[in-house]
Order: sequence, then structure tokens, then C-alpha cells
Amino acid sequence: MIIPRIYSIHDQAITIEFSQTIDEQINMQVIAWQYEIESNPFPGFIECVPAYSSLTIYVNSDCNIDDLKNHLQKKINITENKNHFNVFSNNQDAKTIEIPVCYDSEFGFDLPWLSNTLKLSIEEIIQLHSEHIYRVYMIGFIPGFPYMGVLPAQLETSRKQNPSLKIPTGSIGVAGKQTGIYPAEIPGGWHIIGKTPLTIFDKSSESICLLKAGDRVKFIPITKKEFDQFQ
Amino acid sequence: MSITILKPGISASIQDLGRWHYQKFGIPVGGVMDKFSASVANIICGNEVNDAIIELTLHGTEIVFNEDAYCCISGHGCTAYINDTKIQFDRLIKIKAFSILKTKPTRYGCRAYLAIAGGFHLNKIMGSVSTYVPSSIGGINGRNLITGDIIHFTHKINKTQKDNTIQISESDFAYANWHINITHQHSESNQTTINCVIGPEWSLFNESSQHSLFNTSFTVSNDSNRMGYRLGGNELSLIQKLEMISSAVAMGIIQVTPKGQPIILMADAQTIGGYPRIARVCAADLPKLAQCRPGDIISFNHITENESFHKLSGIQKKIDQLKISVEMTNQ
Repeated sequence: MIIPRIYSIHDQAITIEFSQTIDEQINMQVIAWQYEIESNPFPGFIECVPAYSSLTIYVNSDCNIDDLKNHLQKKINITENKNHFNVFSNNQDAKTIEIPVCYDSEFGFDLPWLSNTLKLSIEEIIQLHSEHIYRVYMIGFIPGFPYMGVLPAQLETSRKQNPSLKIPTGSIGVAGKQTGIYPAEIPGGWHIIGKTPLTIFDKSSESICLLKAGDRVKFIPITKKEFDQFQ
Repeated sequence: MSITILKPGISASIQDLGRWHYQKFGIPVGGVMDKFSASVANIICGNEVNDAIIELTLHGTEIVFNEDAYCCISGHGCTAYINDTKIQFDRLIKIKAFSILKTKPTRYGCRAYLAIAGGFHLNKIMGSVSTYVPSSIGGINGRNLITGDIIHFTHKINKTQKDNTIQISESDFAYANWHINITHQHSESNQTTINCVIGPEWSLFNESSQHSLFNTSFTVSNDSNRMGYRLGGNELSLIQKLEMISSAVAMGIIQVTPKGQPIILMADAQTIGGYPRIARVCAADLPKLAQCRPGDIISFNHITENESFHKLSGIQKKIDQLKISVEMTNQ
């Protein structure tokens, strides 16, 4: 049984830390708690931010964080004792989203290096990467960047020693046990294996982000021609 | 009605109290660095505390008023002039059309706030006008202000018959006939004491680092900005190497890099961080911290979580009190 740690990170923010691991079951707990709190907001509640294995709750001056800590502790105790907190029923909002990816070496410019390092052919890398379904653990680092996992063990690598100065928008990267999509052109240390024609972050759209924590992602390989034709 | 930026100075940007509700998409809260001074300027103008405001970093800004306007400047880091006459901070001022506001260097502080009665008119993105430069969100085209920018405002004085009668005769500006004494936390000095609560990873730091944090001083480095303050001083180290799983952050967290350098996360910090957090700044002291400029010396004072929360409530009361005082002067 996990005993979460509850602590403040600001006079108006509390973190519930479920563990210090990247684990699907733990992240499901995080998202379940996020939904639970968002659907039953208390006075002073502003927002919740899920991460791999923790949930942070931001409040305003209408809420005393000591009271909030006690309230959360009680809620956690009830959940632990009665075991009534159904993780799965609280994750119903999560979607499975298919994301087309062109793994052409023009976009996946680190494929040759990865192939060499991982002792896998480029085709094997593409197959391994696209046959798995990944969980979106959290969005962060820059606006709209989804941290997804868990990558098949054969594809695990460390980050680049020297980050690339410009990674194009839509690039698909891998690092450690994770895979991600670059929502904007920025420097980055992940190895780039392809590119999606989809817009995953749009600050002026209603939904802002195509993905949210708790969603599942399946990458669908497409050809260069299909990529170019994608509207 | 509008103002035109003649010179942005070292840096000037449109802000409000931040872009809340979007951190789960990786969008930082941002907003003004010194919430207290920004709130003071807006309240004196009869605005809401969350109304758009211009954050002026240090000096060198020049702004022309294209129409008569009521405004207030609050904060620190510069002195302000209207057509070469020095003006007071924390006062409601009526400024004549075509007058020029200039800011000049001073020795202390870092950020001043210009509010205009009625508020600046800007499109909100995700509920806020705050400028977040790294992702080009908010403000004018998501960037800091530049020469030639025109910012519109509505001339509106709330319930202020009196203020409308501020007489501008020969001069280019005039003060309202009321004055409220504001006690800013910022001391006119380059040395500041900041109250802190120990952080979630406090116990994982070795004793000498724990001792250093509260018994030695740190210097705000030159590469400090709206995202974070990097501090120079004693190296802080963990008892043993630690791989942390990233989690959400907040303004004021003092995280320590693998090289032992403390960084205090400020308004524009990323939403997620993975460095150990030795301590966090009491939220009531964030305005004071936001007024520290590169080269300033900071000492940290250890307080409890409860003390920290009460200090914040104290600031909130001060702001509420100010609102009431301003309303009363206008009755």
C-alpha cells in the first residue's frame, strides 16, 4: 500500500506525492485524484497540475493550506481504508488518440545514429516505436509538451550530450524510457525519429492541447507523400 | 485613447496577476513579478488588481500620453519624470496629453508598475494578458514592448467626482488631493532578508548545506530574469546523489542544480521541475525578492509553514485595507 506524502510548495499550493517512480498504476491514481478534485472543487480551489507520480493543487486566499492538508489527508485515509476509490471509473475521460508520424530520415534525423547505437535497423526502430500504445503521463517542460511512456526497453537511450539548437515543431523524440512530441521549435536533447503533421499545441484554439495527462497515444507510420498531402 | 512607447528601456512588458488554469498544459502562470506594487498601482487608479499593467524593469523607459490620462506608478528600481519634473510614486496623477513619462536609474530595486485608470485594452489569451516571451503568448504579439507600440485604454474614473476635478493649470500634471501612505516591504538597500520555509527535500541535503542556506548570504547573479534567480554563494549539496521524478512547481521554490547552485523559481518558471527543493520563499516576501536586482545580496531567514501563511494573510489584509481607503477618499 502506498502512503502518499502531502507537503506545501507555496503558501497557496499543496503537492500530493504518491511515489517517486514512473509507473502507470501510480499515474492513474494521480489522474483519478485530479478528476475527483476538479469535479468537487472546494472554496478557494484554482487548479490541479498532474505530474508523473504527484498532483499539485493551487488555491487562493479563500483557502487555508493547513485545512486543505487535513482535508486531503482525511480523503486519502477514507480511500485507503474503504478501498472505494475506483481508479478506472475516474479515468473515463481519457481518450486513445492516433497520431500519424512520418519516420522519413529527413524528419527523423537521429535515426541513423540510434540504429547504430541500439544495434537495430531503422525499420525495427519504427516498428517498435509504432506498435506500442503510450500513456501521456504529464504535459510540461514547455507549453504542450507531452511526456509519454513507457518506451520498449530496446529503444532506451540517454539524452544527447549536446542538445540540438533547433528541433522543428511536430518532431517525435525519444529519451530514456520516454517519448514526446515537440509542440514548438526549440532546442532539445531528445533523439528525433520522425515528425507528425498534426498540430498538438495551439494557444488560440479552444482546447489548447490535443493531448492531456491520462490519454493514450498510438503512432501511425505514414509516408513522406502522405505527410505532404496532410492538410 | 492611447499611449505610445518611445523607448522600452531595459525591459517593459504587459502583465496582470497571471494566466491561471492552464498549468496542466505546461503554460506557466507568469504575471507581474511584484504583485504587491502592481496591486497598489491598480488600486490607486480605481482599477481591479488583476487589470493589465506595464511592468518596467529598471530604467530607460519613455512613454508619451496621446490623451489626458489618470495614472499611478508604484514599485522600485527607477525614478520617474513627467517632462523632466520628478513625480511621486503611489499617487494618482492626472497627466496632460502629449506629456512624456521617463524613468531614470536609481540604486535600489528592480521593477516599477504603471497603471492607468480604466485599464489598458488588450486581448486576453487563455484568460490573461500577461506576456510570456518564451512561447510568444499574451501582451502585444507575445513579446516585450518595443518602440512604436501603441497601447489603448479607456478613460474611466470609478466613482471619482473628485479626481475628475484634478486641475491641471500651467503644469503638465497634477496630483489628486488625497494621499495614502503605503509601507512597501522593499528596503532602500542592496541587501535583503527573505523568509523561507524548508522544502520537501530539505532533509536530503547535508548539514553544512543546511547551515549555509540560513547562515551565509547569496548574490543574485547576472543571468537572473523573470524565469528564475540564480544565486551565487556556497555550494549546496545532497547527502547522496538523487534521481528525482519531475513534479509541478510554484513561484518561490528554491531548487538546487546538480552543480550545487540554488535557483529561485520566479513568475515565468516552467510548470514542471525535477531538481531537489531545499526551501521555498514565503509568498509574502516574493514582492521583496522580485525587487532584487543582479548583484544584490540575499540572506534567508528560517520560518515555519504556519508563520509563512500568516505573513501572506497579512499582505492580503494590507491590500484589502488599501482598497477600502481609496474607496473612502472618493466618497
